[in-house]
Amino acid sequence: MTALQDVKNAVRSRSIHVCYVNVGSCNGCDIEILACLAPRYDIEQYGIYVHNNPREADILLVTGGFSPQWEDKLKEVWDKIPEPKAAIAIGNCPISGCVFNREGTYLDPPVRKHIPIAAEVPGCPPRPTEILEAVLSLAPVVFKDYEERGE
Amino acid sequence: MKKTVDVSLPIGPVHPVFKEPCRIKCETSGEYVINAELELGYVKKGIERIMVGRPWQEVMFLAERVCGICSVIHNYVCIEGMERINGVAVPDRAAYLRLVVNELDRIQSHLLANYSYCYTIEHETLAMYLLNLRETAMDALEYITGARVTCSYIIPGGVRFDLSPEKEQKLRTMIDHIDSELTRFVRMFEGGSLIALRSKDVGTFSREEAIESHAVGPTARASNLDNDCRLFHPTYQKLGFESVLLDEGDNYARIMLRFLEVFQSTQLIRSALDSMEKGTIRGGGEIGGGFAEWAGEAPRGELTYTIDTDEHGRVKKIGIRTPSIMNIEACVHYMIKGVHSSADVTSTYISSDPCIACNER
Repeated sequence: MTALQDVKNAVRSRSIHVCYVNVGSCNGCDIEILACLAPRYDIEQYGIYVHNNPREADILLVTGGFSPQWEDKLKEVWDKIPEPKAAIAIGNCPISGCVFNREGTYLDPPVRKHIPIAAEVPGCPPRPTEILEAVLSLAPVVFKDYEERGE
Repeated sequence: MKKTVDVSLPIGPVHPVFKEPCRIKCETSGEYVINAELELGYVKKGIERIMVGRPWQEVMFLAERVCGICSVIHNYVCIEGMERINGVAVPDRAAYLRLVVNELDRIQSHLLANYSYCYTIEHETLAMYLLNLRETAMDALEYITGARVTCSYIIPGGVRFDLSPEKEQKLRTMIDHIDSELTRFVRMFEGGSLIALRSKDVGTFSREEAIESHAVGPTARASNLDNDCRLFHPTYQKLGFESVLLDEGDNYARIMLRFLEVFQSTQLIRSALDSMEKGTIRGGGEIGGGFAEWAGEAPRGELTYTIDTDEHGRVKKIGIRTPSIMNIEACVHYMIKGVHSSADVTSTYISSDPCIACNER
């Protein structure tokens, strides 16, 4: 363990940039992510910034049960995110398809078939605090000693 | 013909200011937008196809998940449409409780829309104030129905839970809080010079254009076109509802109209609570076979359900017409055309309060 790595670990755990992408959600989970920005939950006091720009993101929040239009596009968004990175599935839709995974649907869940998902937050929709907790507990695990692990 | 288009500017589907994916393709000359086109289809789920062959017990939950922002009105219109098939009567108290929940949902939706607009024009202070105030409306919604977003509060013949006197008192305090805080924020919005520069006379939309493009909801009412469906709803008629109208038709008017409608909604909730009498909240009734068409005023405009059921109450055919489809087309083809900078494209688009999830279902 080098001193440089220590500094990087400390910085990365307090500076997490988030991008969210809606791949066929009903909007419910998206507005719960937005609600995290409200001063009541105050996502920025934990050093989490919601920019919605894949090029500067560390964590991708995926909502929705994967509609066919995203077949090639979600992979592109995922590739644009620089390493180290992680994806979190928000809500029931990306996990199982929720109520939409029935006969006649256009969706193709789960999302983990298409990009690697590191964590899942169930709920229809999950509360803002749960989303916040998932991001905060995942980030230190994924980003710790990234260079030393040599991936 | 001489080619005037310099740059073809695509915006989306993943864009920092878009909450939902869609693509706007602008043809610009410098930064002046000559023409714009819209590309949809990123969140198509096929809800109407899933609904076919299912009873109301399943359809009401699917209807609610058409849109996560205005879920209560989808529940409301779908259930009232089904009640029309067999003439299921609703107790008076339940009708008023439905109105209260619907207006709370409208408050949170309008505050979210105005938050997005303020965030887009980079007035983050006001945006955060509004988003925090929205949490009060969400609390009230959760307090009455038990859930923040997908409440499933309205069921055929009534509502799920009653409102106890203590809860009613607390709801009144919350409504007063929203009123007093929002008065301050509206003053901030009116007096902000940055806001006026970015909003006044940007994205103008005349009454004639509104009629031509079949615009609905606050987008049309900001251009002085009165088409509020609440005027024809029996419960709202009892409370003497009158719609709010403005006639400038620019971004500023659209946002201002939403603020005014929030004040109107709080007033409606107050008068509904005043005129509510003790009684049952759930009557009987059964949904049989038949056809019904019913419309209601969603936060974004007119929402219509066309329901056809068989003798066991299962859905044979269902059609949903959501307000955003007209508003987005009106926005792209009339408002965005002619804006002077590409920064105004996104703010004008957000000012019409688009809901893509509603649109594509």
